Amino acid sequence: MSARERILGRVREAASAPGDRAAAVRARLASAGRQTAPVPALAASVDEARAAQFEAKLAAVDGTLTRLPSLEALPAALAEALRARNLARAIRIGEEPDFAGLDWGGTDVTRGPGRLEEPATLSRAFRGVAETGTLALRSGPENPVTLTFLGETHFVVVRRSELLGGLEELFAAARGAGATPRTLNLVTGPSRSADIGATLQLGAHGPKALHVFLIED
Amino acid sequence: MTLQSTTPEFKRNARGALADEKLQSALAFAKPGFSTKRAQARAALPEFDDLRDAARDLKDHVLGHLDLYLEAYERRVIESGGHVHWAETAEDARRIVLEICRKAEAKTVNKGKTMISEECGINDFLAENGIAPVETDLGEYIIQLRGEHPSHIIAPAVHVTVEEVREAFRKAHGHLPEGRDLEGLDTLLAEARTVLRKKYFEAEVGITGANMLIAETGQSVIVTNEGNGDLSQSLPKVHVVMASIEKIVPTLEDASTILRVLARSATGQEMSVYTTFSQGPRRAEDPDGPEEYHVVLLDNGRSNMLGTEFQDMLRCIRCGACMNHCPVYNAVGGHAYGWVYPGPMGAVLTPSLIGVEEGGQLPNASTFCGRCEAVCPMRIPLPRMMRSWREREFEKRLTPSATRWGLGLWRFVASRPALYRLGTGIASRALAAMGRGGRIAKLPWAGAGWTDQRDFPAPEPGGTFMSRYRPDADGRPS
Repeated sequence: MSARERILGRVREAASAPGDRAAAVRARLASAGRQTAPVPALAASVDEARAAQFEAKLAAVDGTLTRLPSLEALPAALAEALRARNLARAIRIGEEPDFAGLDWGGTDVTRGPGRLEEPATLSRAFRGVAETGTLALRSGPENPVTLTFLGETHFVVVRRSELLGGLEELFAAARGAGATPRTLNLVTGPSRSADIGATLQLGAHGPKALHVFLIED
Repeated sequence: MTLQSTTPEFKRNARGALADEKLQSALAFAKPGFSTKRAQARAALPEFDDLRDAARDLKDHVLGHLDLYLEAYERRVIESGGHVHWAETAEDARRIVLEICRKAEAKTVNKGKTMISEECGINDFLAENGIAPVETDLGEYIIQLRGEHPSHIIAPAVHVTVEEVREAFRKAHGHLPEGRDLEGLDTLLAEARTVLRKKYFEAEVGITGANMLIAETGQSVIVTNEGNGDLSQSLPKVHVVMASIEKIVPTLEDASTILRVLARSATGQEMSVYTTFSQGPRRAEDPDGPEEYHVVLLDNGRSNMLGTEFQDMLRCIRCGACMNHCPVYNAVGGHAYGWVYPGPMGAVLTPSLIGVEEGGQLPNASTFCGRCEAVCPMRIPLPRMMRSWREREFEKRLTPSATRWGLGLWRFVASRPALYRLGTGIASRALAAMGRGGRIAKLPWAGAGWTDQRDFPAPEPGGTFMSRYRPDADGRPS
């Protein structure tokens, strides 16, 4: 008998739920998409209140946000944000179609996964979640996962119509978006650690700063 | 064999910890933060206690159907191109991890924070086999440099003072100028960041733990704040997830219920910075991510807890709230507990996993104040289970003879009401006579153990409760 069979055998013998256990498991897995637990009021924002809550929650976790009227305003806003942060006018991005047609002007744009030193990276979030000010990113050629973690300053673009109330809506959207990516990354603020002297510091291994461009559409 | 324990030495460990000034200063500094932040997070979410009930029910459902969920989960991992390895013991897990590393011709293995790998003693084993393990969580990195084990499940270096971090970095980072400025906390963080950043690109294998395994999707989930776990799983060509079998949740909605109580209970955050759902290896078109994805499912004694009075412990999501709120943990720190898991959850889990002979001291390291159960997001009845372990320890005659003798004497007296009342009456009058202003500053014999630290309250004059109790004819209090 294999280790697998022995472990499963012991578990099967001890698992004590009454009734048709296989049917219960099938039913529970088929319930995917329906929340049976309480959904916090925090996760139920709508309309303009949703964007305001997203911005407030993001600020509470040390993220910053600029609202832009359209995607076309992104290159100029990014150049300005880099200048304001005293960063070189260079950005690392993926093959995101939304970024392909933009005129980046004098910004040095390179495409591909993250390298050892990445002063600034730009990603396109799949959704934003107002419940906690969280950004959801799907890994892939459009958004190499390493850009999310190697950028010292991480810029993220999300459309206002892509803001959701809570995690339930996010998971529904993830299921509806086709093939599951290798990683779905939920990002809530810049990287941090309190491991030295029990004192919170930003920028542990990942980004020291997280800045969101919210496209009003 | 799992990680060697010093748990039988708990009392000696605890005495040492109480006398350790550096440890005491580190503990005193960290202690108030966790409980205050948890209380604030709880107050900000009206549904928090309802979510705790839901989280408890969800995990109870999983444990009652665990075999079926494990099979469903395994199917989804394989469908998405991953590999599942079943490890009955820590030794099996070590062997499996080593085989994966050898196949990948690994010289360096990066590690995100995983308590399961501590339980299996992976680091020492890899090192013995010529593979360098590098802990990348900042706290884990610090204690790896110091040759220590974690003293807290989410703040592994909480016992280390800043000066000790400085010393460790100066010693380990010999390639950097000796006279460099390491005064500020930010310079220490920056140095660790730079040193570890290089390591991410060197490792052939990355090992992470898993906060959850999702049966619906075959995803493993890690919840972190630093981003090291993500770099450890995205840059090497092989990602190994080490997870114990009870980490299963059925659906993504169920995962959200756990997420809503986890970070709030742990650090008081509404959501940790990085919550990552990983499925299989990188897709054909992906420019980054691992080429291989392995999950090592560890039992190591857990299946034996199912169906017993200790099953509820398998609901634990490793938030650390129980230890953050434990007066014993906060007095002695995590190392005194002598094995992988400290605090109240460790006191229950340790004897379950390494045996009551080895771990039976820990359930005695409790005042039964009940704060651990009061704050547990999964509503695990920790004091009840510690009591069960005490009973088992007593039944197995592992309790010291003085304790057994004392308990025997108490039982003799307590089962003879007249004798009991006579004894307590004398004791109460004697204590009342010793009191000054309602307090007793110094007790003789065993009582000195109490009054060396603080006053003992003197009984009210007028006798014991029973001597004053006057029921009416029907036996009701008059």
